[in-house]
Amino acid sequence: MKKILAIVWKDIIIRFASSSELLFFIILPIVFTFLLAGGTPSGDDDNRIRLLVVDEANTTISQQIIQELENSTAVRPEVTTREEAQSQFDERRASAVFIIPAGIDVDSLQSGSAEVEMLQQPNNINTTVQERAVLTAIRRVSSSISAAQNAVNQREAKQPFASDAEKQAYFESSLELAQSIQADAPERVTVVEGLTEDQIEYDPRANSSAGQLITWVFIPLFGISALFAGERQGGTLRRLLTSPSSKATFLLGTISGQVVMALVQMLLLVGFGILAMKLNWGREPLALFVILFTSALAAAAFGTTMGTFIKTEGQASGLSIMFGMVFALMGGCWYPLELFPATIQNAVKVLPTTWAMQGMLDLVLRGGGLVDVLPEAGVLLGFAVLFFSVGVLRFRYE
Amino acid sequence: MLKLLLIGIKDLKLMFRDRAALTFMLLAPFLLTIGMGFVTGRFSGRSTGLSDIPVIIVNLDKADLGNALEDLFHSDDLTDLVEPTASSDPEAARQLIDDDQASAAIIIPEGFTQSIIPAEGTMFDSNSVQPDPVQIEVYTNPSRPTGAGIIKAIVDEFVSRVEEGRTSGMTSLSQMMASGLLNPQDAQAEASNQFQNVDQTESTAITLKTNTEGSQAVEFDLLAYFAPGMALMFLMYTVSYGGRSILAERSEGTLPRLMISPTHNAQVLGGKVLGIFFMGVAQVGILILASTMFFQVKWGDALGIVVLILAAVFGATGWGMLITAFARTPSQVASTGSAVMLIFGILGGSFISLERFPPFMQTISKITPNAWGLDGFTTLALGGTLRNLTEPITALLIMGAGLFVIAVFLFNRNGLVQK
Repeated sequence: MKKILAIVWKDIIIRFASSSELLFFIILPIVFTFLLAGGTPSGDDDNRIRLLVVDEANTTISQQIIQELENSTAVRPEVTTREEAQSQFDERRASAVFIIPAGIDVDSLQSGSAEVEMLQQPNNINTTVQERAVLTAIRRVSSSISAAQNAVNQREAKQPFASDAEKQAYFESSLELAQSIQADAPERVTVVEGLTEDQIEYDPRANSSAGQLITWVFIPLFGISALFAGERQGGTLRRLLTSPSSKATFLLGTISGQVVMALVQMLLLVGFGILAMKLNWGREPLALFVILFTSALAAAAFGTTMGTFIKTEGQASGLSIMFGMVFALMGGCWYPLELFPATIQNAVKVLPTTWAMQGMLDLVLRGGGLVDVLPEAGVLLGFAVLFFSVGVLRFRYE
Repeated sequence: MLKLLLIGIKDLKLMFRDRAALTFMLLAPFLLTIGMGFVTGRFSGRSTGLSDIPVIIVNLDKADLGNALEDLFHSDDLTDLVEPTASSDPEAARQLIDDDQASAAIIIPEGFTQSIIPAEGTMFDSNSVQPDPVQIEVYTNPSRPTGAGIIKAIVDEFVSRVEEGRTSGMTSLSQMMASGLLNPQDAQAEASNQFQNVDQTESTAITLKTNTEGSQAVEFDLLAYFAPGMALMFLMYTVSYGGRSILAERSEGTLPRLMISPTHNAQVLGGKVLGIFFMGVAQVGILILASTMFFQVKWGDALGIVVLILAAVFGATGWGMLITAFARTPSQVASTGSAVMLIFGILGGSFISLERFPPFMQTISKITPNAWGLDGFTTLALGGTLRNLTEPITALLIMGAGLFVIAVFLFNRNGLVQK
């Protein structure tokens, strides 16, 4: 036991010899957790098509048009300057630009001279939607004036007005009537939300906290391979042969040291999740411990097996980061697994990250308890047994 | 110049002999690109944007306006946008939405037309019972909010057109009757005339002038963003790997040996920098080529791509040199390089589009070659050319040159390349 503790202590000293290790141990995981929690898409995102709007009129009418666009279910108006809009349009970053030029006011509407403009990228399907939304918005703002104008035109076609004053009076009474008809008009469309179940269970904070925890803890655990390769390269493993320490003592000391450090790192990140992100990590402490411990064991076992295949420390550290990142991405730690095609969702069940992520989401997202995480913990334990067996059997001092 | 090239090519050859480094520099970004392709639906055809939104139309009205709305969804204008299916059973249509088979169902109830266009003889008859308002039901799929929102917007536009026509017709008729130009006997015929094409009313108060510019549609390929995103992230590892070789050569004694040869210090340092630059260009170039070969990524203007790669690698090389100048040992360069790689990866938009970050983060991201590089790659993928890359290329060149000057100053101060 003393020897095991001595190996654990030695590995801790080596790992934290450089203060830069703290960067990977706690600082970067927190930064990534925080940024991805705010940056990844959530169900509350505004999915409407972006429409750049240039408001050069800045009148009540132009504001009303923009407000109507805000109410659209299809487009999301983004008011900007003409230069910025033109620049984005030229770079094809905006499919359309809606320009309300100076002079769009009640007078221009009454005189029929009001003209708004829409720049559209050719053959772009978004512009069809944007144009319809703009037409709806300008109709809602101007339909009573249009109706009054139309009434004046029809009246004039039957019998010309005697004077401009009579024409204006006719327009005003028509406008009043049109506004009254418009106000009395009933809602003609009703929206009923269906009962479709959302296939994607997702909370950016919970997913980011669990996913980044797995990413940043699994990479150093896979890095156990680098420890073995480094000791083998440096000849220190051979030296151990001459000491009265067994292979089991060395392996147990090295692996348990890394698992303990991983648990400390996990607890720090869980603490950040609870305190800074208000996540309910601590609701079922036993279940939490079980899933964290089995996850750490599975990752450490994989690192042990890797260490028996890899020859140099350089190879091991590169491959640890590569496997850590790829396993994390494919295991649903960065983006919800439900976004992957069904075949890939099944295929990635061979990865420990998939099970670790599901177990942690059972706890922090789905409100599960010990019984709910036992299947995932069981699979992770299975991974641990399998990879430790391969690793121990293949382990050589030279 | 020859010596410079020789040193650079020597370092490039060394990189290609280091299988572990090659695996990390090439295989890791490639695998992550594949993963991003799955996530974004690029490989399963989910990422092509808005098209063929499935919608179910239940037309129980079977009159002018109900038919006009149904025809609208089958019009040429919307043929690429929506994929309508007719149904006669509202409950079955709602069930299909609940089962996630379509984005929305439009249920046009019986009597919809009549509720807007009164039956003949009833419009100006104060004794006739006016029909109750009848509402079109848009039954939406909450798991497909964008598609459902677009269907609702199309229905809204149709209804607003009809409503404008109705208001206009009612106003004209009422006003003319009030001014005695239309008698009640003729009013019905006039009303039929007014409401005949109520669904095709054009706004007269404001004219919308559309201006379609350019001539070619460009479909944005998501991998044209994520593939260079991953390549640029791992480029930061490559440039620090190159920088590490400078310190490794010093500790192994080969750098002092180079110094005592008839080679100027600047040539040695320049050669090493050139080596890093070659490594970066080789790495990004290979990844771009591989993405083109395996995933048929549409990158856009080829000349723009080449110039952008060169500029992005130049900017990243500056960072590699700066990291090396601050570090004392090769392992310090390695750990700092890995940290910078990850930080720049997330800040530069390799994982998530920068548009999702708050403005201050978007400003901070400008210190990374990743953000400028991705900006350029996006411009090209959207159909831009080298002419549109002035800003990112200038920024990357200034970044590379500025960091190189600082690194040289630090190298001189630390006596790294002194004889």
